[in-house]
Amino acid sequence: MSLSTSLSIAVQSLNAASGALQITNNNIANANTPGYTREVAVLQEAGSSSDGSVSLGNGVEFGGYQSIRDELLQTRIEQETQTQSGANAQLTSLQAIEPTFTTSTTDIGTEMSALFSSISSLSTDAASSTLQQTVLASGQKLATAFNTASSTLTSQQSALNTQVTQDVNEINQLSQQIAALNPKIANLKAGGQSDGGTLQDQQDALVLKLSALTNVSITQSDIGETLTTGDGTALVVGAQSYALQTSTGTDGMEHVLNQSNANITSSLTSGDLGGTIQIRDTTIPGLLTSLDTLANQFATAINTAQASGYDQNGTKGGDFFTASGSATSITAASITMAITDPAKIASSSDGSSGSNGNLANLSAVQTTKLPSGETPGDAYASMVYQVGSLTSSANAESSAATSTLLQLNDQLNSVSGVSTDEEAANLIQYQQAYEAAARVVTTIQSLFSITMSMGTNAAA
Amino acid sequence: MIPDVQYAMQQSQQNLSAALQQVSTGLRVNQLSDDPAASVNLVKSLATSANIDQYTSNVTSVLSQMQTADSAISSIVTSLNTAITLGTQGATGTNSTANRAAIATQLEGLLTNIVGNANTSFQGASLFAGTATSTEPFVAASTTYTSSNGSTASPLTTATGLNAGSVTTISDATTGETMTFTAVTGNSIATLQSAVASAVSAGTLSAGTTATINAAGQLSISTNSSTEGLVVSSNDAALGAMTAASGTEVADAYAYVGNSNVNKVQVGDSLSVATNLPGSNLLTSGSNVIGALNSLITALKSGTTDEVTTATSAVQTALNSVSNQRISLDGTLSQLESQESYLSQETVTLKSVQTSLVGANLADAATNLSAAETTNSAVLAAAAKAMPNTLFDYLK
Repeated sequence: MSLSTSLSIAVQSLNAASGALQITNNNIANANTPGYTREVAVLQEAGSSSDGSVSLGNGVEFGGYQSIRDELLQTRIEQETQTQSGANAQLTSLQAIEPTFTTSTTDIGTEMSALFSSISSLSTDAASSTLQQTVLASGQKLATAFNTASSTLTSQQSALNTQVTQDVNEINQLSQQIAALNPKIANLKAGGQSDGGTLQDQQDALVLKLSALTNVSITQSDIGETLTTGDGTALVVGAQSYALQTSTGTDGMEHVLNQSNANITSSLTSGDLGGTIQIRDTTIPGLLTSLDTLANQFATAINTAQASGYDQNGTKGGDFFTASGSATSITAASITMAITDPAKIASSSDGSSGSNGNLANLSAVQTTKLPSGETPGDAYASMVYQVGSLTSSANAESSAATSTLLQLNDQLNSVSGVSTDEEAANLIQYQQAYEAAARVVTTIQSLFSITMSMGTNAAA
Repeated sequence: MIPDVQYAMQQSQQNLSAALQQVSTGLRVNQLSDDPAASVNLVKSLATSANIDQYTSNVTSVLSQMQTADSAISSIVTSLNTAITLGTQGATGTNSTANRAAIATQLEGLLTNIVGNANTSFQGASLFAGTATSTEPFVAASTTYTSSNGSTASPLTTATGLNAGSVTTISDATTGETMTFTAVTGNSIATLQSAVASAVSAGTLSAGTTATINAAGQLSISTNSSTEGLVVSSNDAALGAMTAASGTEVADAYAYVGNSNVNKVQVGDSLSVATNLPGSNLLTSGSNVIGALNSLITALKSGTTDEVTTATSAVQTALNSVSNQRISLDGTLSQLESQESYLSQETVTLKSVQTSLVGANLADAATNLSAAETTNSAVLAAAAKAMPNTLFDYLK
């Protein structure tokens, strides 16, 4: 046991204290950095050595820093993020569609009622050209309401289609970045560190962003994190990232393909991409089909009623509604008026201009079931219900996921978050340790001086 | 802790906005997702309301129309009563020819009034023409009608073909009935002739009415008495338009050229009312009112006392017929009036259903708003208190 050994132990202490102070400093600096996992100093007792029969300690070893992580919590947060993003994507789209089916002065339900009211009004004076004009105007407004609803849905679908391409590009970028980090982290771990530290923080942040986009499964191995999506398509394996592609399908929509050109679109079920695909490929096409069916069957029923009567000129009634432009069949987008001359409304049942007998057939369309099995009003009401309840569900799911995420993040924060109070206490602790070690050095130094001046007269 | 505080403030703010929206719109359901089931029921209820509103409007229009009709019939009844009094007067043996002539003139005036009333229109449509409302139903009759086609150079013949689907009508002022002939492929003027003959046997047309080719090569349809008149119309291109031969007009004779069809208007989900009384039902079924008056005038001018008495009782029969018809009209009028009050009750009921579906109870909404404001203030105050002091504040 010598003074120089004591000195080197003291110097080690100084290093340890200053290393710990640096870590504390780093924690405080990154207290508000998102995704930062707090570090603690790894301080170990240095192996003891024996001096004859006495075993003496050799001071402290500063073993670097360790990040305090909870991988299970992190995984749960990633999963909940997928759910929340998916629900949010659906909610945003549905909220854009909701107004089309909400009662206003121009929605389909209101305009349909207005058309039947105008027909009933005409029955009180079948030859009145004012009342005839009102019927034509109502018919046109209804056709316009159908056109508008259809175009709102298709343009929403189009916007979602663009979103799919953007999401896929983002996924590919993130995959690349994650893959780039894998070998670096693997090296660090091979070099003896148990944890990837700051690099792991970065990778976790990227994986969280990826979770917001699509459903991912994560597995750990010694080559790093392996990420797969959908039906098992690999995104990241070790240092290698695999890009997804989009290609336009026969339905005009962007489909997502994996590296072997297999179509994995339907297996992407959560995250922003999953939610977007759900609305684009299932919800909106369903609504469009219902809308087109209603427009077509309604127009056909009205046209049939027209054909069973006579107009003001005594001629058999012609079509009331038709398909516009080059469309071959009447759909919600193509429905328009076939009549512009008020005299062509087939109100008469006996050929004379004052007869209103055929208007009863036109009015009957309101209460007769269409081939789809519901009256026009009920068919429209079913669509209203569908949109309302889908939106309500997406809202509920989104709120629930947000609330769960909040709880999970709180839990994670209590484990990995920086508590400035704790760091302040640590600062004091390491400051005192440094001061104490410095005092040891000073003491040893003065002991050296005394030793040096032992046996000389200079110290008299 | 900060994210918790932020979340709490966000939630509180959202609740405050929702409460404010309810109070300012008065609605509990502002978008479909607020209550999908209520939203759907609202859609259906509004459709029912729209129908009820329309029925209410229809009742008003129809009432207006039928009250005008009733008023015209009322005038006709008054005129007929006067005619009967005059006829009875004219049948008393003490009347001289001059007196009878004077009475006949008065009766002619009454007849003009009655025809005028029978030709009443409402908003441009004849009230008593059945569904042929664009023309007046009672038209002055003539003994002879001729076709515009046919001339001495190229006369029509009995073999001249008629176009399939063409319609020729002969309305008789004396019988008050109308013969309608619709041609089919292969028909000719000869077919029309035998149709006329059948109509005469059936009593639809007066005895002696014939269809012949006249000296000018035209088709001529005529009665065989100068006091019996017809109105003829045809849309057959082979004949051209049928017009009254000049100078053949019969005084005080009017034929009915409308039809007997009835329009119905829906004034309730399962209630439709007939809105017109065809002139044929009103004035010619049972007996021909105008024809009876015409006979009375003729009897007074040139007939015996017995003939005047007979003619007067024919007018009485006619009046009874009109009164009967009027009963059904009055029945419809009172049905409409009670439907009116039923519909206004329904309107109120539906409105309150709709309010209960999506309306906000304003007292509750105002209370909720005030509670939300209080909560919001409390959350903000708590957040301020909870913003942590750190140890640094104390390590001076």
